[in-house]
Amino acid sequence: MPTPLFIAQIGLTLFVFVMLLSSAAGMVYVERKVAALLQQRIGPYLVGPKGLLQPLADIIKLMFKEELRPSAADAFLFALAPIISATCAFAAFAVVPFGGDTTLLGLIPGGLRLQVADVNVAILVVFAIASMSVYGIVLAGWSSNSKYSLLGGLRSSAQMISYELSYGLALAGVLLVGNSLSLTDIVNRQAGTWLGFIPHWFVVVQPIGFLIYMTAGIAETNRAPFDFPEAEQELVAGYHTEYSSMSFAMFFLAEYVNMVTVSAVATDLFLGGWHGPFLSESIGWIWFLLKVAAILFFYVWMRWTLPRYRYDQLMRFGWKILLPLAVVNLLVTAAGVLYFGS
Amino acid sequence: MTPFYLFAAIAVGASLLVIAQRNPVYSVLLLIASFGALSGLYVLLDAPFVAVIQIIVYAGAIMVLFLFVVMLLNAPHEETPYDEQVHPLMRPGPMRLGAVLALGLVVELIWALEKGAESGRFAGGAVSNVGAIGRLLFTEYAFAFEVTSILIIVAMVGAVVLARREGAR
Repeated sequence: MPTPLFIAQIGLTLFVFVMLLSSAAGMVYVERKVAALLQQRIGPYLVGPKGLLQPLADIIKLMFKEELRPSAADAFLFALAPIISATCAFAAFAVVPFGGDTTLLGLIPGGLRLQVADVNVAILVVFAIASMSVYGIVLAGWSSNSKYSLLGGLRSSAQMISYELSYGLALAGVLLVGNSLSLTDIVNRQAGTWLGFIPHWFVVVQPIGFLIYMTAGIAETNRAPFDFPEAEQELVAGYHTEYSSMSFAMFFLAEYVNMVTVSAVATDLFLGGWHGPFLSESIGWIWFLLKVAAILFFYVWMRWTLPRYRYDQLMRFGWKILLPLAVVNLLVTAAGVLYFGS
Repeated sequence: MTPFYLFAAIAVGASLLVIAQRNPVYSVLLLIASFGALSGLYVLLDAPFVAVIQIIVYAGAIMVLFLFVVMLLNAPHEETPYDEQVHPLMRPGPMRLGAVLALGLVVELIWALEKGAESGRFAGGAVSNVGAIGRLLFTEYAFAFEVTSILIIVAMVGAVVLARREGAR
């Protein structure tokens, strides 16, 4: 007889999976609507009320498209690449806590933490999975046996390796301040306020770290203005030029789920996770959702506001500005922690 | 005990397949799988920190560079008919070198088994304590740590010198 806690854990895992899937679909709609807003259009409005069923129509369209594969492609790796991308995107969210303990209206004695797996090195796991997700893109580019795909894949791996360093150093700043590698501990250190109104969030003590994290995070997820792997004017569609139907959909899904994960980790690390005024801790996940939604909106806003960088600008910015800034930020943080105590 | 055999089998099997592949891209991927299985073994040893570092450093960083090089060379198959017929490992050069290396490995293994398990400084679950690892690294093993960092800097400077074109500023 499985205990209620065990059933709840399984349920939670499935719930997170389904929520990530639907958040990707939701983001497609938000992306289109916000793009339309910024360009003074209406956006999708025909399918369903206010176009709300548009993502569903997109999915159905993708499912019924023909699955094409170039005859010179490496069949096994061509099939494997989108799977790696999608798996990495989902796996990272496993260690992200998104709420305090809940008893689910008293059904679970002892309470259940809203996190799939509480790992004590959670930050490093997020970083490790981010560094693995580059393989999906590189292999897609290589196995397609097409020049656009290969160039897109190479560009993306160079970009991700370059920005991973700054990403990791920004994470290191937070773990110095939070004095822990566990995301749950870090969120709990951010409870409370200074002087009664400034929230105890790490964005206040790590403003530069937050900027570096978000910049590197946008570059890691290959979103505008860093969307070089799929710079359509130069590379058709980059690494997924040769992909169609559901294998293309997997890359698409991976991109949106990665955005959600980067936003969720940013919320946990810098914006106090599920802590906020007015709401008790048991329904703190509402705060968490609001913060994630705000960052996601920012993501879309950036995409339709800023033009794409040139590739040499991207590399120069990553290595000559962002990385030194991240190193200085880490040094200053370490000195501060040493001097004031954490 | 079962997870141990699962991860060990994947690690050994993938490592063997690495050298049995003709296509270097597959070799790289199998090596990553082997590193992943090793990382699983570290988790079983109650050392999640080492496990994650294994993934970040080896599977995430070093193997990406390997894949990069292999892809840029783009040499999935050897060219000449002789090369096509004879597996790379069956050629005289690799055979002799391989024999020497295998002999060295056997000697090393015997030496290691003779010596037995050294009484670990980290008994039990202490390895997951990042603070303890850091403290040891910067006190007891500070010399080895600093020498390693100098070695890496030398390698980096060397790579920059080699990559810089003559005449370029």
